[in-house]
Amino acid sequence: MDLTPTTREELAEALAVASDDGRTVAVRGGGTESRRGRPCAADDSVCTLALNRVVDYSPADMIITVEGGALATDVAALIGAKGQRWASADVRPGATVGGILSAARTGKLRLRQGAVRDSLMEVVVATGDGRLVVGGGRTVKLVTGFDLPRLMVGSLGTLGVIVQATLKLWPDPMASSWFTAEGDTTDMLALANDVLAAYHRPAAVIVRPGAMDACIEGAPEDVVAPDGARVSVEPANPEGTGLVEMGVPPAALAAIVRRLDQAGEVFEAWMGTGICRVAVADAREVASVRALAVEFGGHAQILDGPDDLRADPFGPVPPGAEVMRRMRAAFDPAGILNPGLFAAEVTA
Amino acid sequence: MTTIARDVASQFAAVVGRDHVLAGDLATMLYARDGSIQDDGDCGLVVLPASTEEVAGCMRVAAAAGLDVVPRGSGTGLTGGAVPLAGSLVISLSRMNRITEVDVPNSCAWVEPGVLNLDISTAVAHLGLFYAPDPSSQQACSIGGNVGTNAGGPHCLAYGVTNQHVLGMEMVMADGEVVTLGGPAPDPPGYDLRGVVVGSEGMMGVVTRICVRLTPEPPAIRTMLLDFPTISDAAAVVEQVIAAGVIPASLEMMDRNMLRTIEPFVHADLPVDAAAALLVEVDGTPADVEAGTDAVQRVAAANNVGHVRVAKDEDERALLWKARKSAFGACARVKPNYFLHDCVVPRSRLVEVMQAIIEITDREDLICLNVFHAGDGNLHPIIAFDRRDADEVERVKRAGDAIIRKCVEVGGTLSGEHGIGLEKRDYMPLVFTEEDLEAQACMRRAFDPDERLNPHKVLPLGARCGEAMLGGREPPEGTWI
Repeated sequence: MDLTPTTREELAEALAVASDDGRTVAVRGGGTESRRGRPCAADDSVCTLALNRVVDYSPADMIITVEGGALATDVAALIGAKGQRWASADVRPGATVGGILSAARTGKLRLRQGAVRDSLMEVVVATGDGRLVVGGGRTVKLVTGFDLPRLMVGSLGTLGVIVQATLKLWPDPMASSWFTAEGDTTDMLALANDVLAAYHRPAAVIVRPGAMDACIEGAPEDVVAPDGARVSVEPANPEGTGLVEMGVPPAALAAIVRRLDQAGEVFEAWMGTGICRVAVADAREVASVRALAVEFGGHAQILDGPDDLRADPFGPVPPGAEVMRRMRAAFDPAGILNPGLFAAEVTA
Repeated sequence: MTTIARDVASQFAAVVGRDHVLAGDLATMLYARDGSIQDDGDCGLVVLPASTEEVAGCMRVAAAAGLDVVPRGSGTGLTGGAVPLAGSLVISLSRMNRITEVDVPNSCAWVEPGVLNLDISTAVAHLGLFYAPDPSSQQACSIGGNVGTNAGGPHCLAYGVTNQHVLGMEMVMADGEVVTLGGPAPDPPGYDLRGVVVGSEGMMGVVTRICVRLTPEPPAIRTMLLDFPTISDAAAVVEQVIAAGVIPASLEMMDRNMLRTIEPFVHADLPVDAAAALLVEVDGTPADVEAGTDAVQRVAAANNVGHVRVAKDEDERALLWKARKSAFGACARVKPNYFLHDCVVPRSRLVEVMQAIIEITDREDLICLNVFHAGDGNLHPIIAFDRRDADEVERVKRAGDAIIRKCVEVGGTLSGEHGIGLEKRDYMPLVFTEEDLEAQACMRRAFDPDERLNPHKVLPLGARCGEAMLGGREPPEGTWI
């Protein structure tokens, strides 16, 4: 059964019934993150797209409360009209607010704007067994009770469905521009280092094969092109059969860029953040990218890819797995949500 | 007073050394308190481990003996979060005070929990870096305690709170297991347990090493003190500056009572006749600072600003900040004790809430001083009182209760940066349902199934995570969750 509930109560009730009946449920928003984790074969699916209301928007308080299925582009248009933005999110066409949060999908301005997890102030969750639980609060800062919002960000729909989120917004910058330079990748790495040193808190410094992109934001007189770069637009994600995201200590990125470039990979390294995205064709390539991340003290997960690529989407079991299991048992006692998504490492 | 059996104490001595187990009346009395006014603490024994291994050893002894454990940093907390109850073991982390690694290329440092907040910034200042969260107690509070309460501070308006500056931590679980969550590599797979531990008030584990983010010093800073004839004018400036798209590094308000209390203590030439003053700092590039200054001054001019004092050098800036950060200490000039709330309200409701606070404290015939993070809507009404005056204590409690209820009524919450601890615990049902609190109890039990870590804090006594919720279901084959 595929459900698109129009109220959170209806959604919660559907989950309660599914838990009682032992039917597994695939959780879906706009579908932009549906190729994430190990493929799940679920009995039913629940879609949040009809939960798309704006619950409260107070521009003066710079917070907005929306339902989880609201399209991030719609929210961006609404707040954009007031000169505000959800600066840390990766707002792509079709993506829902709940989906971006569940997938911890931080955008390319991470270097200046931080991780998207920090923007969630209050969350309402429909748990796997159909409870509606609130965590956090609708203020720009709080430490009132345990941090359910942080737990939910990145949980990929395995603890519950985000039916409502309160987001901390930021004012649009006075000026902002992307710049791109092209040349030998080694030269681009050097240019990236120059940009990191020369600008105070650049919004993004990205190295790709044969190119460097920088986003500079702030006072108009500060938004000037790095030497040899021209005005451009945000670069597109590396294209391939699948996309892997490495998370490594930021300083490791220079060496990783050199290695990836030598190997002829298609990638983008978000300098200063420790994030590097690599286009991959097959499981062998996933393994080699992951091995590179591990060599430098990091990890790698598959962000996107067809089912047959995603047998081992996360690599080794992370520390704290026992705690994570108990969290899951508390929020989704029957284990019905996105079953099997967090696959353990496949050992050859 | 509850004491811990001598044979158990000697097991702790075997782990940390006899000199680092404190059992005398004086020690247990001192460690029964923190920076709050809670006076019902009962400390059974104090241990002072010097390493992760020693903490783990203590936790194993405590687990075998079934002892409750209260981790403690500097004890500066304001809500009773570090107050032991019913003879708990206190693990003081104050000997674990080394900065073990400064990793400049990765803009982070690994520090032990007993390191004082300000000492991190001091240690890396020569590198042009600093640790951004700056609670007023930063000369005394420990980074471990900051993790426990997700501490804030004036500069968190632009830079974000502790959670945004803690990249990872090594932690000893209740059973003695050591686990490392997060670190310099971002976004590890699985749930963000790192993020959950920050702000968990010592109820999920004993943090033994912390990976903190180091932030580059801004190239330019300007600090301004602006005074206003009414609180409404000052609050209007707060709202309008931010609505104009300017997020200052900090935006602090002090009312007349506070200004008049601080001035004789710090001699900063504060505007003691003003109804309120704003301490505003803008930073960034020189152009950012010019633009921010213009916006602040333009908005202030439209809202009846009296004087605009711009710090002319680093000494004057330091003096203005000293005035702001001495506020709590200066209250001792008014009355021997103070009680404060840490509510957060929507910025747009600041004036209404400030007026309500004045009415409430006037009604109870109490002296209230206000100094707070206006930009965040994070209030700190300080009620000065004398705990020897039983009638006054009752009035303080009544006023505190009314203030909290008012803040919640306008859409605010209980705590912005101090935490819940014991003091705000029983107010949790004002903002959360039973089901919400049960979910939080489950989050805690996921880390500490026996609920021995800092028990009876944060969650009201009725909030329980049912056994059925943690049924120990095995994950499906081939998965870890």
